Amino acid sequence: MPERPQRIVVVGGGMAAIRLAEHLAGDDRLAVTVLADEPHAPYNRILLSAVLEGTHSADALTLRSEEWCASNGIDLRLGARVLEIDRDTREVVLVDGQRVAFDRLVLACGSIPTLPPIRGLVRRDGSLHPKVHAFRSLADCRRLEAAVRPGQRAVVVGGGLLGLQVARALGVRGLLTEVVEGADHLLASQVGPGAGGVLARDLRRLGTEVYTGARAVRLTDDGLQLDNGYVLPTDLVVLTAGGRPSTALARRAGLMVRRGVVVDHTLTSVTDDRVHAIGDCAEHRRRTTGFVAPAWEQAEVLARVLRGEEASYDGSRSVARLRATGLEVAVLGDPERAAGEVVEVTNPLTGSHRRLVVHGGRIVAAALVGDLSRVGLITQLYDRGTLLGPDEPGQLLLPEAPDAPAPLPDEAEVCACAGVTAGEVRACGSVGECVDRTRATTGCGGCADVVRRLVEGSPTPVAVG
Amino acid sequence: MRLAGRRTPEVSAWEEFPVNQGALCRKGWAAAGLYGGRERLTSPLVRDRGTGEWSAVSWDDALDRVADGIRAAQASGGPDRVAVFGGGGLTNEKAYALGKLARVALGTSQIDYNGRWCMSSAASAGIRAFGLDRGLPFPLVDVEETDVLVLVGSNLAETMPPAARHLDRLRERGGKVVVIDPRRTPTADRADLHLQPVPGTDLALALGLLHLLAAAGAVDPAYLAERTTGWEDVRDSVASWWPERVERVTGIEAHELRALAAMLGRSPRVMVLTARGAEQHSTGSDTVLAWINVALALGMVGRRGAGYGCLTGQGNGQGGREHGQKADQLPGYRRIDDPAARAHVAGVWGVEPDSLPGPGRSAYELLDALGTPDGPSALLVLGSNIVVSAPRATHVTSRLEALDLLVVCDIVMSETAALADVVLPVTQWAEETGTMTNLEGRVVLRQRAVTPPSGVRSDLEVIAGLAERLGSAASFPTDPEEVFAELGRASAGGPADYSAITYDRIRDEKGVFWGGERLFADAFAHPDGRARMHAVEHRGAAEQPCADYPVHLTTGRVLAQYQSGAQTRRVRSLPDDGPFVELHPLLAGRIGVGQGDVVRVATRRGEMTAPAKVVPTIRPDTVFVPFHWVGANRLTNDALDPASRMPEFKVCAASVVAHA
Repeated sequence: MPERPQRIVVVGGGMAAIRLAEHLAGDDRLAVTVLADEPHAPYNRILLSAVLEGTHSADALTLRSEEWCASNGIDLRLGARVLEIDRDTREVVLVDGQRVAFDRLVLACGSIPTLPPIRGLVRRDGSLHPKVHAFRSLADCRRLEAAVRPGQRAVVVGGGLLGLQVARALGVRGLLTEVVEGADHLLASQVGPGAGGVLARDLRRLGTEVYTGARAVRLTDDGLQLDNGYVLPTDLVVLTAGGRPSTALARRAGLMVRRGVVVDHTLTSVTDDRVHAIGDCAEHRRRTTGFVAPAWEQAEVLARVLRGEEASYDGSRSVARLRATGLEVAVLGDPERAAGEVVEVTNPLTGSHRRLVVHGGRIVAAALVGDLSRVGLITQLYDRGTLLGPDEPGQLLLPEAPDAPAPLPDEAEVCACAGVTAGEVRACGSVGECVDRTRATTGCGGCADVVRRLVEGSPTPVAVG
Repeated sequence: MRLAGRRTPEVSAWEEFPVNQGALCRKGWAAAGLYGGRERLTSPLVRDRGTGEWSAVSWDDALDRVADGIRAAQASGGPDRVAVFGGGGLTNEKAYALGKLARVALGTSQIDYNGRWCMSSAASAGIRAFGLDRGLPFPLVDVEETDVLVLVGSNLAETMPPAARHLDRLRERGGKVVVIDPRRTPTADRADLHLQPVPGTDLALALGLLHLLAAAGAVDPAYLAERTTGWEDVRDSVASWWPERVERVTGIEAHELRALAAMLGRSPRVMVLTARGAEQHSTGSDTVLAWINVALALGMVGRRGAGYGCLTGQGNGQGGREHGQKADQLPGYRRIDDPAARAHVAGVWGVEPDSLPGPGRSAYELLDALGTPDGPSALLVLGSNIVVSAPRATHVTSRLEALDLLVVCDIVMSETAALADVVLPVTQWAEETGTMTNLEGRVVLRQRAVTPPSGVRSDLEVIAGLAERLGSAASFPTDPEEVFAELGRASAGGPADYSAITYDRIRDEKGVFWGGERLFADAFAHPDGRARMHAVEHRGAAEQPCADYPVHLTTGRVLAQYQSGAQTRRVRSLPDDGPFVELHPLLAGRIGVGQGDVVRVATRRGEMTAPAKVVPTIRPDTVFVPFHWVGANRLTNDALDPASRMPEFKVCAASVVAHA
């Protein structure tokens, strides 16, 4: 008699949840149920600002369809909001009263947008002011999309990664957009003031005004009032002031929660070894993250744990990239706080700020703003912990030298196909003679231009290569 | 080819030939240099294992010795104790006869060939996606008609230089060329856009490209609905490959990927061609499927001047994989595990279908098993220089040394022949007649032009001589045209059906396409006529850089050499400066070496030393070594693609240091 499959219930239908389900799909020993509170099939949340900007169609965001889940043995329940976790009976209770039994419970509840303390944001009945938009879910995105009209004014509250993306998206959509950030500079939790200044300059150049060191305090019919006295008249207010891990369910169920649900290296709750947490709601080694890469790494590790394999989560290297037209930002690790030597090139004239933090010969953090040259390579070196030579970090930050043109010496091979040197070509009176005598240019034809110039005795140097 | 004077053949251009219009590279011009060389073998040789000495013997003695060795091996452990290893450079007739020799005269399932290491990932993907594998389903010249040509892992300006002329004509017409290669090669120098990904990440790049095309609505919904299945899963699977994620994996900056997507999205005709750079990976077949998905999603496959193709890497890369020297195939690209195919081919051969063996080991697995308790103890090699060309070559060499009998047919004493017990000298190209099927699926005829030196025999004669000694139930003709006619009957009704092709037709038509000039215009070769889209995921190279082996190693060709170099290294007019290690100035600075300094490259499997070639055209985290000499493949990884059994030649983790 085969054992009954182990029932795995995942609370949440976001990117971490569906990635876990993908890793578990096809294992007959497991019966996986995904309780997604949103009404849509799991989608790529981080591209919502691209939908708003118009570079992505919303239907290209679906990560896995209901049909895919059904044919891969995943019981995906959309619009299934969990009210309560009953750890004694090992059941979760849905808002409609349904109870779903589990052997293992995975919390992948994500995070909840922070509501900044602005008077007038919430009306007496608890709903948001009609001008106010959150930007967390596809529903939020659709509601905001429906509201935007070119020429309107919008204020984005929060100058972090999401805020900048939304601000750019609204700018691209033709809105007069302003950004309000309480810290002294933009992207304050990732980069220093120099980089933040470059970003503010870029945004202004793109037509978006930036107010830093300023808090929005009140929303009135006149507009959004800041604590410095400014009032920004506006048609829309978008809240992008960060989020906090969604931990209410866990807290009520008596699981240990600090900022997030506290888990160990197997992503198991320190309170209950039948409960796990991954993604934004999880706290591992006193850290929570708001990024998808660590959430997916956690999903992969947890999938192995749930299949009974040896696996452990050791933390993730973070790479934050802004996805917005006209703004170039990459933040690797924590460039403001990581220990190490700082190699930095700032050029306020062109608006670039490039900073590497090097420790023991390895790049341990970086901020690249306004100039992403070699971001692909720098990310590789960072992710792989490559040991660099002492000159390398500096060279990585400088522009790549163009190949210097050099005159061709007689012995240099011009036509690789036929093995003809520059000297042999120079000895010919015409291209036709050269073809007859040497067969140069008759193979791939790539040397035709060089041969012509050599035969004509062109005085200009010819680049090799 | 013409004969100047009495004995010296000379190569000349055949401008009417549609494939190259007479253009050749220096290997082609120099090909006659192989004639009359002092190193040419003209007598069978046997090696005394005790002393290592070679002695010339008669053909009868040599073949008797081989037949005795085969009988002894099979008597001790059954038919599969004898293995056969062929090559993608053999003519169709030889490939066919070799497969027949294995299945009928030897009764062994243990046959495969070096083409497994060449196009097998593309072949596997083509069969899964289209139901049929033909390198290019259109003539090469169609390249000039497209609007954007995407070359993934091809350096055709060096590996097939005359084909590069098509790129120039395409660009003169206003078309664009995109090259994807970790090195800025001479091909990349002719491109409008060159992307330099981390080796082993072409698959992720394709996923990211399709992500952007889907997000921008640039796909062709009508085509997808009418001509494909599986699009929904593929579309959803690429939703998680946004450009910045692709950037982290591939090292390709997000704006470059967006530029590529924009270029493709607005072009009426897009053509994607893959080559070994994309295919020689443990994820090679999935990588090809991912690029095929791009071509299908854009509605390109089957359209004139558009679609997908694979640029083959060997003289008879296409034909070599169609007629039965592959472990799982019978002539006509039939599957050996298909009862109807077995019955048909057995009928042509005049044997019982049940007498045919089943599928055997793939090339690397076959070599890896040599001399082991369950593996073959005798091996017959034709058209391959395994010691130089196999991955993890030191290990493979030790397997060859563990054999009781190694027989090598070659024209020169290659590195592999040097390990053999018996070396059989055979005819070379202009000394024999035979057909080859080129990258377009065009069957071409190479006719005998010169008389072979006395003492050598054709491979067909060697095969027939062995079959006779082994008491084969089937006959083995030695006249190539007769063999071709039999091949035609054996392939009749198969996916690659040659039954309507004759030598006369090939002569008259300057080559004949099997299956027609252009494929897939109306239907794909699956029963429902639709192409299959497969959702594939990026897994990455089997071996990733680490503290001990911090850089990527990739391998490839140089213009003046070919494959293992057994032939080209012996042509005096071709420059042979030996291998080199190409590395970027940043990396050279890190390890303190300058131009020409000797460096040592090591991997978990072996090491080599060679002069440094410091160039800014390679990724700073990658070194390149050409594979025409002993060395590169001591380093390469034998991790295999699960579908195609292709080894991961194109990427592994290596260390590089100044050589003390």
